[in-house]
Amino acid sequence: MSDLVIDADVGVVGAGPGGMAAATRLAAAGLSVAVLDEAPRAGGQIYRQPPVGASASVGIPEPPSHDQGHALIHEFERARLLSVHGATVWDARPGRLWFEHEGRSRLLRCERIVLSPGAYDRCIPFPGWTLPGVVTAGALQVMVRGFGVVPGQRALVAGSGPLLLPTVTALLGAGVEVVAALEASSRWRALRAAPGVIGNAARRREAVWYMKQLWRHGARLQWGWTVFACEGDGRVQRAIIGKVDADGRPRRGTARTIEVDVVGAGFGLVPSIELGLRLGARSRYRPERGGYCLVVDEEQRTAEPTVFAAGEICGVGGAEVAAAEGAVCASAILGELDGRAAAPEVLRAARAERRAADTMLRAFAPLPGLNELARPDTLVCRCEDVTRKQAQQAAEVHGDSMRAIKMGCRAGMGPCQARICGPSLQAMATGQNARVMDRPVVQVPLKAVRADTIRNAPEAC
Amino acid sequence: MSGRLTDADGRERVEFTFEGDAVSAYAGDTIAMALWAAQAAALRRSSSAGEPRGVLCNMGVCYECLVTVDGHNVRSCMTVVRAGMVVERGGRQ
Amino acid sequence: MSETADIVVIGGGVIGSSVVYHLAKLLDPSARIVLCERGPVAGATSGACMGHLMVTPDTAQDYALTKTSVELWARMNEEVGGFDYNPTGALYLAETDEDQEMFAVLHKQFADNGDRADVLDNKQLREIEPGLAADVPGALYYPGDGVVLPMLACGAMLRGARKLNPNVVVRPHCAVTGFEREGDRVVGVVTEHGVIATDTVINACGVWAPDLSERLGEKRLPIYPRAGNLAITGHHVSPIRTQLLEISYLRFAHAASEIDPTSVDSDKGGHAVNMQPQRNGGCLIGSTRQFCGMDKEINRELLQRSLLRAERYAPGVAAAPIVRTWVGLRPYSIDNHPLIGPWDPVDGFYIAAGHEGLGISMAPITGLLIAQQIAGVETEIDVTPYLPSRFVA
Repeated sequence: MSDLVIDADVGVVGAGPGGMAAATRLAAAGLSVAVLDEAPRAGGQIYRQPPVGASASVGIPEPPSHDQGHALIHEFERARLLSVHGATVWDARPGRLWFEHEGRSRLLRCERIVLSPGAYDRCIPFPGWTLPGVVTAGALQVMVRGFGVVPGQRALVAGSGPLLLPTVTALLGAGVEVVAALEASSRWRALRAAPGVIGNAARRREAVWYMKQLWRHGARLQWGWTVFACEGDGRVQRAIIGKVDADGRPRRGTARTIEVDVVGAGFGLVPSIELGLRLGARSRYRPERGGYCLVVDEEQRTAEPTVFAAGEICGVGGAEVAAAEGAVCASAILGELDGRAAAPEVLRAARAERRAADTMLRAFAPLPGLNELARPDTLVCRCEDVTRKQAQQAAEVHGDSMRAIKMGCRAGMGPCQARICGPSLQAMATGQNARVMDRPVVQVPLKAVRADTIRNAPEAC
Repeated sequence: MSGRLTDADGRERVEFTFEGDAVSAYAGDTIAMALWAAQAAALRRSSSAGEPRGVLCNMGVCYECLVTVDGHNVRSCMTVVRAGMVVERGGRQ
Repeated sequence: MSETADIVVIGGGVIGSSVVYHLAKLLDPSARIVLCERGPVAGATSGACMGHLMVTPDTAQDYALTKTSVELWARMNEEVGGFDYNPTGALYLAETDEDQEMFAVLHKQFADNGDRADVLDNKQLREIEPGLAADVPGALYYPGDGVVLPMLACGAMLRGARKLNPNVVVRPHCAVTGFEREGDRVVGVVTEHGVIATDTVINACGVWAPDLSERLGEKRLPIYPRAGNLAITGHHVSPIRTQLLEISYLRFAHAASEIDPTSVDSDKGGHAVNMQPQRNGGCLIGSTRQFCGMDKEINRELLQRSLLRAERYAPGVAAAPIVRTWVGLRPYSIDNHPLIGPWDPVDGFYIAAGHEGLGISMAPITGLLIAQQIAGVETEIDVTPYLPSRFVA
């Protein structure tokens, strides 16, 4: 058979901590495992590796948690499994994953699927967020740690949640002047995260490491501040920053302007659940975990019994949670084959990591008032160039559901398929800041692929 | 001003063009990162207003960094540079 | 909640929106017109179709209906606008020299209606569309066709209606669950949010129109869903600039079906190329046709065949990124003509549905004809062939 079709016992989507942990264990137990990953190398975003041959990340200090990353990658890259990189999965059904790889249309056939596709930065629109030079917090980390690129000379980091710290320390390590590092949550609200950190040795160690890094560079987080707007001619040159109230509403009177040449904005993460929904998994809205997350049983099994899920897809929780849940997926699958349950200690470890993460992240659940940063003429959908006012007009006539807003102004219908605007679009259009968003609708292809990829898709059987 | 963490990165140099200008990258760079290091932040013109857009997510989700490579529409953050590649700005012409 | 309305329009697609718009234009602005849509406005077929404004010349009657309607679109573009109206014309493509013989037929049909279309040879065609395959022998260019973005057109018409008549109420996410009747008269519409007392109701529910008629206590209308699989590319990659159809599309798409639409398992489905450039530089690729009930899952095999055919004419399609694919359900009426007018057995109940793949093209004339019938004025064109009473017996 041609190499366009691969057969394996288990197909794993994503080679981040969750996927690596699952795949390595399954392969060690003698199953044939094929991993599909969109990036050029294993690691996921959190443990992203520089290109082959590069020594770029050497010299940037790494937090202690990255030891786990190196260990996972080390084991994964030595495991007897097939890891396909540069693979974009565009359609699926239980036991079948269609993907585009190097311009070719391929298919992975397997008995079971483990999903660990990760998450991406939550964006909240503000005036000037479309200017070149304004990127997500995650984008800056990829730049520095993944490619050894120095993003600029004077940076602003703004947003909310634990990922601001690695972003700031990566910039500092790269010699960038961090003009301001703004956490929208108040210090008081952030204190609620403390039990999740103090009660978990690894997270405690991590927090101390970050504090030391900031202290060494004389940097600090400003609590209860955020970016109000960015300005510049063709690219970002200035940012307007200011204080927000306890709900995240901008206090316009506190605004001041700073000179910057790069801005990283990240308001937490959004789980990538599309593939799970396509495969028949159920989802639930959990704001502290980033929005809609897959619902799984204690063995990480989705509503579709042959599909398991680990890490951010079940709700944002970080690399430790992902690795622990990946181990559960492997244990559960091996257990099924042997007619027994997953190993209790593996389940316990995953539960403990998830509990700690939930406690910590509850303090950084999206602040509804941040939706007031966008002005009527601020673009909310970047793909289709739709302003907040146009989205409001659409909701007014077409209805206030996600689909109605899309139909009324084509927001969310461009290439990103509402991944960027979706999480805040209904709030933007209706003015109801705390609105629970409609469940995302998945359409094929799950990510854009060439027409001839769809046309040449290998048959399922 | 963006740039490189170190010039002795260990990787080979790869030359390509962007909008007709020569760009020197390292093997393994994505187009987006090579262009960012070369101070080219505007990669695409937006769909209707034609405004400049550049990298947003840097991980293949947002499609803001679309460029045209040898006539094909690709995400520059997910496409690794090749020697002699002809890269043009994406979006509205 | 007790509410009254002069007219209730059910269905917020392109037909219902056009009915509301033309009622607002024709009636006194004191008339209270309520539109009820169970989902979003333009959330069903009108949000899942191509926006081809197509003039069909095969009979004088069809020509009058479609030509008048396409001209009304141009007028609405001036009156309200905002729906990407683009009078691109249409290129009917031949694949073989034999296909070109069909040009003569189509050419004559346009001429018989006092209209014109131009036959283009390979060289002339490639000057207009350099992205076409070199071996496409020729085309027939009809300048009278156009393109709109239907979902935006629905909103634009409803906004336009509200500007003309402040008593127009648009109610999305408000399902109609039943009707109130007094003998042969309709006297109220029951919605999930309350009853609206009214003596005039228009059923503009497309493929769901039979369900609504059933809720009224009448027999199901002979309208059947006919699925179409569509694909759209990303922006600024369209290999074409004009709307393209293969000449066989006419026979395939707009002739009466040779397959029994009431038997959903027997239709293997078919396809003919229809490609449409979008204002944002994308390209919409259709289209397939299959009677398979209300199923909206992509039929991948049909979609693949459709993409292959598109590539055959425009090779640039192969590498174009496909952003989304989906299925829309066309309301096919059993005699392949729309139902536009009163449902005789029930006073005050009108039907505007069953336009198959020409709902966008025919929306303005349908809205106008319904409005004129309700207002009791002379209709723009002879409405007799479209009266639903043909199905009463």
